[in-house]
Amino acid sequence: MINFQNIKKFDGNYYFKRVFSEITRKHSYSIALFLLGFPVHVVTYFLYLLKKDKNLYVPLFAQMKQQFISEGKVHAWAAEYRLQEQTKAAFFNKSLNERQLDLVVNQLTEQKLHREIEKILTKDGLAKPSYKSYFSELLGNPLFLVLSFIPGVFMYIFLILCSNAFSRFIVERLVQSAFVIVGVATLVFTILYLSPFDPARNLLGIEATPEQVANFNKIYGLDQPYLVQLWHSLSGLFTFDLGNSFEGKENITQSIMNKFPVTLEIALLSLLMAVAIAIPVGIISAVRPNSFADYAFMFIALIGLSIPSFWQGLIFILTFSLKLQWFPATYNPHNWLSIVMPVVVLGTSITASIARMTRSSMLEVIHEDYIITAKAKGLSERKVITKHAIRNAMIPIVTVIGLLFGGMLGGASVTEKVFNISGIGSYIVDKQFIPDIPALLGGVVYIAITISIVNMVIDVLYAFFDPRIRSKMKKS
Amino acid sequence: MKFISNVKLLMKITQEYVNAQFTIVFSAIFSVLFLLNSFNFADGVWRPYVLGLFIIYVATTLYVWVATWQIKKDLAKHREIQKRTRLLGYPLMLTVVVGNVFAAGFGFMLATKNKTAEYTFAIYAFITQIFIIGISALNLFKPYVVDTFLFAMGAFLALAVFYAVMAILVARYVTASNAPKWMIPLGVVLLLPTLTGNLFSLLLGLTLIKKARNTDPSAVEKWQKIWNKILRNMMAVFGMFFIIFMFSLSVVSSWTFDYDFAVQNNYSALLQTPSLDYPLGTDNFGRDLFSRIVFGAQISLIVGFFSTIIPAVIGGALGAFSGYYGKNTDNIIMRLLDILYAIPGILLAIAIIAAFGANTVNLIIALSVGAIPTYARTMRANVMQIANFEFVESAKALGVSDAAIIFKHIVPNALAPMIVKATLTIGGAVISTSSLSFLGLGIEPHIPEWGNILKVGSTYLETNAYVAIFPGLCIMLLVLSFNFFGDGLRDALDPKTN
Repeated sequence: MINFQNIKKFDGNYYFKRVFSEITRKHSYSIALFLLGFPVHVVTYFLYLLKKDKNLYVPLFAQMKQQFISEGKVHAWAAEYRLQEQTKAAFFNKSLNERQLDLVVNQLTEQKLHREIEKILTKDGLAKPSYKSYFSELLGNPLFLVLSFIPGVFMYIFLILCSNAFSRFIVERLVQSAFVIVGVATLVFTILYLSPFDPARNLLGIEATPEQVANFNKIYGLDQPYLVQLWHSLSGLFTFDLGNSFEGKENITQSIMNKFPVTLEIALLSLLMAVAIAIPVGIISAVRPNSFADYAFMFIALIGLSIPSFWQGLIFILTFSLKLQWFPATYNPHNWLSIVMPVVVLGTSITASIARMTRSSMLEVIHEDYIITAKAKGLSERKVITKHAIRNAMIPIVTVIGLLFGGMLGGASVTEKVFNISGIGSYIVDKQFIPDIPALLGGVVYIAITISIVNMVIDVLYAFFDPRIRSKMKKS
Repeated sequence: MKFISNVKLLMKITQEYVNAQFTIVFSAIFSVLFLLNSFNFADGVWRPYVLGLFIIYVATTLYVWVATWQIKKDLAKHREIQKRTRLLGYPLMLTVVVGNVFAAGFGFMLATKNKTAEYTFAIYAFITQIFIIGISALNLFKPYVVDTFLFAMGAFLALAVFYAVMAILVARYVTASNAPKWMIPLGVVLLLPTLTGNLFSLLLGLTLIKKARNTDPSAVEKWQKIWNKILRNMMAVFGMFFIIFMFSLSVVSSWTFDYDFAVQNNYSALLQTPSLDYPLGTDNFGRDLFSRIVFGAQISLIVGFFSTIIPAVIGGALGAFSGYYGKNTDNIIMRLLDILYAIPGILLAIAIIAAFGANTVNLIIALSVGAIPTYARTMRANVMQIANFEFVESAKALGVSDAAIIFKHIVPNALAPMIVKATLTIGGAVISTSSLSFLGLGIEPHIPEWGNILKVGSTYLETNAYVAIFPGLCIMLLVLSFNFFGDGLRDALDPKTN
């Protein structure tokens, strides 16, 4: 591997050529390369058009075609195809119309002619001229590389990134995430834009004069066309400047920045609790399937999955705050006891999901052949489970944890409302009645971005840690 | 039959024994719950009704324990359950009156040796009907009942008797592989009570007709095999029972319950504690909580059903196209759905409701949109797998159109995981519905819906906790039932276990 890379570095001229012909097999990559190296391509395409006529391929092709026709081969093929089509129609009991038949036969004959000629020409080392092959030739020329390096710097960086399976995977994943994030922002904005509600009327009251309403709409840019508003929202989202909210006129980015850590803290603690409880429980259940402990754990897990979080919160407040007075009923950042109940409530369903997932994943792994091998080697059961089973069983679990984390951030709004926590979830719910478009957009999109990034990081980490994914990437 | 020498193994595969253990555990759990609730700690007095229930449940538990011991002895001595032991099942059937569905189900199972899927359907149709009669009968303590009450109750009683007769007939004459021809008209008659929402009756009727006609034995066998697998799983059966019970109750509630009790304010009975007049008490406007919860089941089931079926159809179609055509079609569809997938379902629902207002239709749409990508992914994976099979290739070679290949040949074979997924996600939809209603973003506040009732209850948590406890219990039980049934379906339909 190391050796191979060294060779690549030494032989710089062929390096780019090789990568180029490798990745342009995919259509999307060709487009990306064309866009990134646009200034270079403008010049080279012009040169290509000039050179095209000098190529030997075109006249030779015409000559061969004449030859085939004069030899009568084309005629024979046509008769063959005609017979074939007629037999086919007879078999399926379909009537054939003469003109259609001629059309199909001509098409098939033409295709065959092209194939045959190309076969002969490639044998002689002549390829059909295409811009792709021309550009690929140029990339092998050191002089061209030096000349085009400055205008085509993005294209070359892209080529370097794509030369390696890992970095290509990461680039692909990054582009995908960026696309998803922009898509999410556009979607949420469009939904809010289509809203029949009028924030101005809701805020100013029914007595507001038309001038006041028009003024309000002008201040917040609500009178502008869809695309302009969309552009403002998107640029606001990515420059972290969403302006002021309709109600209260506070800076939206600032309020989201203040509220997000609260939600994130509770969500992360819940996740920690879930992992700490669910994974041992799942492993115990899988190691002793169909035992009493297994049934009991899985029953409790299913209850945890079925319990509505707001009701669980209410019951917790009723028992632990009102009756037993162990924990305060509402959240207070200065009292760590008050965070216990929200964390447990938010983490319950994810704990249950992870426990069930761990159990099924472990059960699948335990029945694999290599576990039997490990047992046959005489390893103790403890060692088989801890060394061989858990590590492999964890792979799907971590992916699921990433996905569940997203659901948890979304579900936080309900828990936050029950415990009166001023996090991002309750912020979104409070803002939806007007509807306060920029605030809602910011809240929802920033949560979606967080989730996308978390999932992307997990995917990328896998590419490094899981040998199976690694070998799959190399093969493709 | 294979001879099994190991008694422990024999006990494990004897359904009655496993069933008995479940019954003991659940009866014991309920006994403890009743005991804890039989004493009013605040006033220091006993509650006689609850105490009575506790005594009956403890007695049942002990009785089942004795029966289990007897089964064990039979298995050790004779390798099968003796007739005398089976007689022990009959008294247990009576426990259906006090609502112990576990013990009653066990009693019915123990009583006969010939256990077919039809027998299970018949007895659960019977138990469901008895439960509905019991729940509806609580209306007798109200100052008045609706006009259709007496007629409906009479019809329910007749149906219950009919189901009991059917159970006996099925136990006598229906075997695992065939049924007598004269069962066909009975099967057709059994399709009628579907109008009362008793889906067990529908299942029983369909299976009987299929079996008695016996035109396609392999299909009958397949159908039988799947149901036997599902019905072996006790928890799946109880889940199915509770779902069908709730469904049936919400269908018939308009004939036996008065909607006025659920929505009309009654200022002479504000925040009453549970009593015979108001079995679960009243809320802050004097509305009967019991009636409200019964009518709330309707809304929950309707929203749960539609917000599952709509994304299943749309997502399923998108996933099928994407999986069948592959390449660019696949890329475009799946990348667009990735956008939907990146937004947590409940946040997307909040955004949609914020934009278009809170009402039932918008709620269904909001919950549906967010669920499309998961269904599409499931369908796509299945279709991609099935599209490589030979029968698809031969259909292509015969010149069948793409649409016909997808919807006639591929989709029916890819449906099993979709059904399982749908069952498991209905529960989630029920929770989301009530969560959003609780936030004031779901069903309109004047409609009795479980989340709305809970919202009222949350403000009276300190003084009248029961207003918040009962609807929550109902949500949990319904969702739990869907999850249990879904798990059972998955185990039965999963090709890995076949």
